[in-house]
Amino acid sequence: MARGGESPILFDIFFFQQLVNGVAIGLVYALMAIGFTLIFGVLNVVNFAHGEVYMIGAYAGLLAITAFAPPLFVVVLIALAAGALTGFGLERIAFRPFRRFRDEASLKSKAMREATLLSSLAMSIIAREAVEIIMGSNMQPIPQQYLLLQPVQIGPLTFASGQFLIFGVSVVSLAALQWLLNRTRIGLSIRAVANNPVGAMYVGIDTNRTIVATFIIGSMLGAVAGILVGLYQGTIFPGMGFTPGIKAFVAMVMGGLNSIVGAVACALILGVSEALATNFIAQGWADLIAYSFLVITLVFFPTGLFGAARERI
Amino acid sequence: MNVLEVESLVVRMGQQTILSGVSLAVPQGGIVSVLGSNGVGKTTLMRAISGIYRAASGSVRFLGDDIVRWPPHRIVAAGLAQAPEGRQIFSNMTVGENLRLGAGPRSLAAAAGDLARVFGLFPVLQDRLAQKAGSLSGGEQQMLCVARALMAQPRLLLMDEPSLGLAPKLVRQIFDLIATIRAAGTAILLVEQNARAALRVADTAHVMESGRIVLSGPAKELATDERIRSAYLGGHIHRSEA
Ligand SMILES: Nc1ncnc2c1ncn2[C@@H]1O[C@H](COP(=O)(O)OP(=O)(O)OP(=O)(O)O)[C@@H](O)[C@H]1O
Ligand SMILES: [Mg+2]
Repeated sequence: MARGGESPILFDIFFFQQLVNGVAIGLVYALMAIGFTLIFGVLNVVNFAHGEVYMIGAYAGLLAITAFAPPLFVVVLIALAAGALTGFGLERIAFRPFRRFRDEASLKSKAMREATLLSSLAMSIIAREAVEIIMGSNMQPIPQQYLLLQPVQIGPLTFASGQFLIFGVSVVSLAALQWLLNRTRIGLSIRAVANNPVGAMYVGIDTNRTIVATFIIGSMLGAVAGILVGLYQGTIFPGMGFTPGIKAFVAMVMGGLNSIVGAVACALILGVSEALATNFIAQGWADLIAYSFLVITLVFFPTGLFGAARERI
Repeated sequence: MNVLEVESLVVRMGQQTILSGVSLAVPQGGIVSVLGSNGVGKTTLMRAISGIYRAASGSVRFLGDDIVRWPPHRIVAAGLAQAPEGRQIFSNMTVGENLRLGAGPRSLAAAAGDLARVFGLFPVLQDRLAQKAGSLSGGEQQMLCVARALMAQPRLLLMDEPSLGLAPKLVRQIFDLIATIRAAGTAILLVEQNARAALRVADTAHVMESGRIVLSGPAKELATDERIRSAYLGGHIHRSEA
């Protein structure tokens, strides 16, 4: 933007800060949207308990902090472990019981989609209520020394330290996911089941194991998003997963349902749009952006913004 | 010795009985062909052997084990692979990824020998390694389907209509390939519409009609059988003569 003869300020500082905030929140949506996308890929179902996985990640981190005040990276690891366990349990309780047959028709059937819609919704309510009973329904503050709100000054710009953590963890997670999906047997199996579940049986892929792995990986990313936001925003509460869950869901739909690249790109678009919109409209109205995007996508781009990227994980 | 022994296999779908007691055997290193017109249950038989359909009763013995209740992945791991009807390749993944998935849990290094062998049989796949499988031509996809099954180092290969939809020149290639695979020691159970070519390459053949085998014998004899001649020209075999 530094064209000769123009103003000495190279860019609008406020605009740039909002852009950075938007990318940070967009990355959080992206981490969650990947969980939706992976599971939708292998089973053609939406996991309505995904927002609660995010919440459980945050609470697991908080519990660890209050119990033995570990270093930050251990808090993140504990959230990942909690996500893995939650994903494993969720698949067992809410999804596996509805998957009794082996052929494609029943593996991705409408009946299963409806049954698991209800069972995952039920699990999300149970998880939220259980946390509320055990931990209370009020906001839980994150202890001061873990808060990631220290300002970091770079030139004229001020960032919160939490934004660096979100960038760092997201980039590492996305890179790890790419490596997993393209280079490892389990990642190739996930893509194979998403692409052609019957073909996957013919090459000897253990479909059940692959589905479990998908839930574990998707839930780890969701849980880590939860603890990152908790540390960054300073409070966590049982219903914290709802709004980001909706945003991530919108990103998945915008991205074309089956495309990780599409979902990540759309999550970033969504986060940045929301952050920039606060220039023009009140904070509370920013949520409307996601819904507008959803409607626009469904009406004008029924196969996602990147139509061609469909059916790719 | 027989690699595969199917005994009185029954498969039902809901109320319908699709296979009503099929028995056949594939000897070590042999080629056995199953013939029959559309909808008689050939693919159902292949799917039941691979564990994709559950059998209602009967047994499938493979290398001495009764595999009839095994899940498909365990059956493949035991050495029974299939090049299925409709190819069932992973169209959004590359040719290389398809082959790697065929190799099962073995590492790429461990499967290098099989990869080399498969490239020997299908040189065209080597040139297309990084290409999406869905962008291959129909014939190339069929080769990928067979190549992927061979990557599993099968003792027995099931092939369900490998020549379907291929030009005559490619059909000849596929049947040459079947002979080559057998020569390397893999037994083959072959389902084909192209009865003439199948009977030329097979040792034994069975003719199916509405869920059961109605005629069996050495392929050479069946090739001259009047009933076969009329059957693959569209006629019907009388069950009483089975
Ligand atoms: N999943 C299923 N549900 C219900 N019926 C089925 C199913 N699979 C196969 N059938 C029925 O079983 C019968 C045999 O089908 P199958 O695919 O085994 O025939 P085929 O001999 O392979 O025929 P083709 O030569 O056309 O491939 C058909 O009538 C088919 O409609
Ligand atoms: Mg068939």
